[in-house]
Amino acid sequence: MSSATDSSAVPWAHVYRWDLDKTYLDTKFEKLSGMVKAAFEKADEKRNIPGAAALLRELSRGTDDRAPARVCIVSGSPTQMRRVLEEKLALDGITWHEFHLKPQWRNLRRGRFRALRDQVGYKLPLLLRSRTKIDKSLQETLFGDDAEADAFIYSLYGDIVAGRVDDQEMVRVMKAASAYPDAIDACLRSLRTLEFERAEAVDRVFIHLDRRTPPAFFRPFGSRVVPVFNYFQAALVLFADQHLDARGVVTVTQAFLQAEGHPPEELANLFQDIARRGHLPGTAMQELGMAVQEIEDTPQEARQVVWSCVQRFVDLGDGAGYRPPSPPEGDYLALLDHLKSK
Amino acid sequence: MTTVALDCMGGDHGPSEAVAAAASLSLERPDLHLLLVGDVEQIGPALDATAYDPSRLSVRHTPHWVPPDVPPGRALEEHPDVSIAVACDVVAEGRAGAVVTAGSTGAAILSAARRLGRIPGVRRAALAAVTPTELRHGPKEDPFALLLDVGATLHASAHDLVTFAIMGSAYAAAVSGNPRPQVALLSNGTEAHKGPPEVVRANELLSGLTEIDFAGNVEGLDIPRGTVDVVVTSGFLGNVVLKMLEGIGEVIADLASDAYARRFLWRLGLTMLSSGIKQIEAVMDWESYGGAPILGFCQPVIKAHGRSRSRAIANACKVAAKAARSEMLRDVERALAKVPVEEGELGA
Repeated sequence: MSSATDSSAVPWAHVYRWDLDKTYLDTKFEKLSGMVKAAFEKADEKRNIPGAAALLRELSRGTDDRAPARVCIVSGSPTQMRRVLEEKLALDGITWHEFHLKPQWRNLRRGRFRALRDQVGYKLPLLLRSRTKIDKSLQETLFGDDAEADAFIYSLYGDIVAGRVDDQEMVRVMKAASAYPDAIDACLRSLRTLEFERAEAVDRVFIHLDRRTPPAFFRPFGSRVVPVFNYFQAALVLFADQHLDARGVVTVTQAFLQAEGHPPEELANLFQDIARRGHLPGTAMQELGMAVQEIEDTPQEARQVVWSCVQRFVDLGDGAGYRPPSPPEGDYLALLDHLKSK
Repeated sequence: MTTVALDCMGGDHGPSEAVAAAASLSLERPDLHLLLVGDVEQIGPALDATAYDPSRLSVRHTPHWVPPDVPPGRALEEHPDVSIAVACDVVAEGRAGAVVTAGSTGAAILSAARRLGRIPGVRRAALAAVTPTELRHGPKEDPFALLLDVGATLHASAHDLVTFAIMGSAYAAAVSGNPRPQVALLSNGTEAHKGPPEVVRANELLSGLTEIDFAGNVEGLDIPRGTVDVVVTSGFLGNVVLKMLEGIGEVIADLASDAYARRFLWRLGLTMLSSGIKQIEAVMDWESYGGAPILGFCQPVIKAHGRSRSRAIANACKVAAKAARSEMLRDVERALAKVPVEEGELGA
């Protein structure tokens, strides 16, 4: 289950940071009834986003030649939900190492009404503080959704850690995002710790398209941000990034075939979609096909998915070029305006 | 799930409208899979800019298409992998059940003839059009009838007209849910002996056929009235009739808007009639009819209007899926097997 260790000495292979609502949990916040339901339902009544639990389990487990990964949960859910959310993750067999929830009651008591909805002033200080506690060489992959500002916050975090966004720009952006001064101070404190340890740390940012936002909306955030319609697509990109092995992809695929009832052809379409959008290198499918063949106990249905994917790949011809992960080209004030235009 | 191959490169508005149609269908029709055929470098950005469900869409890339100013035959010779030909290929391979295109009719007919082949017994394909009518048709009380051929081929022999009648009947049954549509030949009189020799002979042949409900001959005025469900004629005459009907509709609309602008009293009168005018507009709204089938090929081919926007193309895809799921082609084949082949028809 959980572990509160923050030791940078632990040889983690990678860091995965996950949001919960609409990223891991299928929460309907759009309606009041959905909010009430989310607040009162029990752990075993909470529904996952398809494939999320299988993917997170696969990513975090260690293998013979890979250390386990560090899992950090940063959620906008109120702290009062800690017990039920921890119980839910435990039921799913998820091991986490950090678990942050939003102190909504404290915000309310102190009259910090802006903070009730503010995501930048809540998540960015947490992410930076968490970064100060781990080895600077650790790479990170972040998971969020299209409901709020995850693509913006995660990209900003990645560029601050990499040193592309300096203190002054960060302060300007946080002020423009209506963050409270203490949140800005907290970020500056973390930056002083990180000062000599800036590094290219964020590999990828996966944005679960819970609201079916058109993928083109995320283009200004650069190709490091990968909008995904479900976690089968994320699994393919993570395989290409070498964070997930072929067995992990098969496990996630099985979750979609069995629990979610997706026919193989639909998964092949999802594969083609992520390849067409330039998030998979041309060799990834070939490598996956060969690796899956070597796994003796791969179910026939999963093999069929792979072959259908090969056909879809051929269908694309030379019409889809790979775009390696890259940060945004524009400045963050412009990206904030872009986000507000949604 | 029914797969429809959609040629995205035809049509006056380029791939954007076809892609928008496919995207909206992917969200609202879980029973459909759209296979988008065309240049992925144009299809991709259009798709990414809209909301869609990728599990119900896939793309078949081809860098070529039939340009509007190039004769279809030449375009197909220069690039055998033009989008409409590839769309027909994927249907022939069994990866899709029907083709939809808003591109050149000639290219669609040529590609379908070469890649899909004709139903045994069919010599010529026929383009069918939906025309608004005064009377309602079938169990769904559709306010339109089917007119064919409207331009796939200029001339039609008696055997061709019989074939058209059988195909029109089968299509109307499949798409409108009318189990036994009434079919008639277009002539210059209702009597069986009226009309050119091929129409008179077709009347004789159809009268002896029990597979369809043949109602004899009808005249031009019966088309807008809608006295039968399917009207059969040669491509030349059918095209003239169709264009005339469209022209009359446009002239009436122009006259009404002119009257609206000219006098207050006329404006008042038209305002009072507005609900009735809206009903007429709904009947005349070609975008809701879902394209024209090109009948005679071994798989359904639906031709959407070149001016089609996404709504019209989406409706064409729905019609194509319905036709693909039906027994229409088998029914045509069965009925044609009972039509005697006349001297001079074979090998013509």
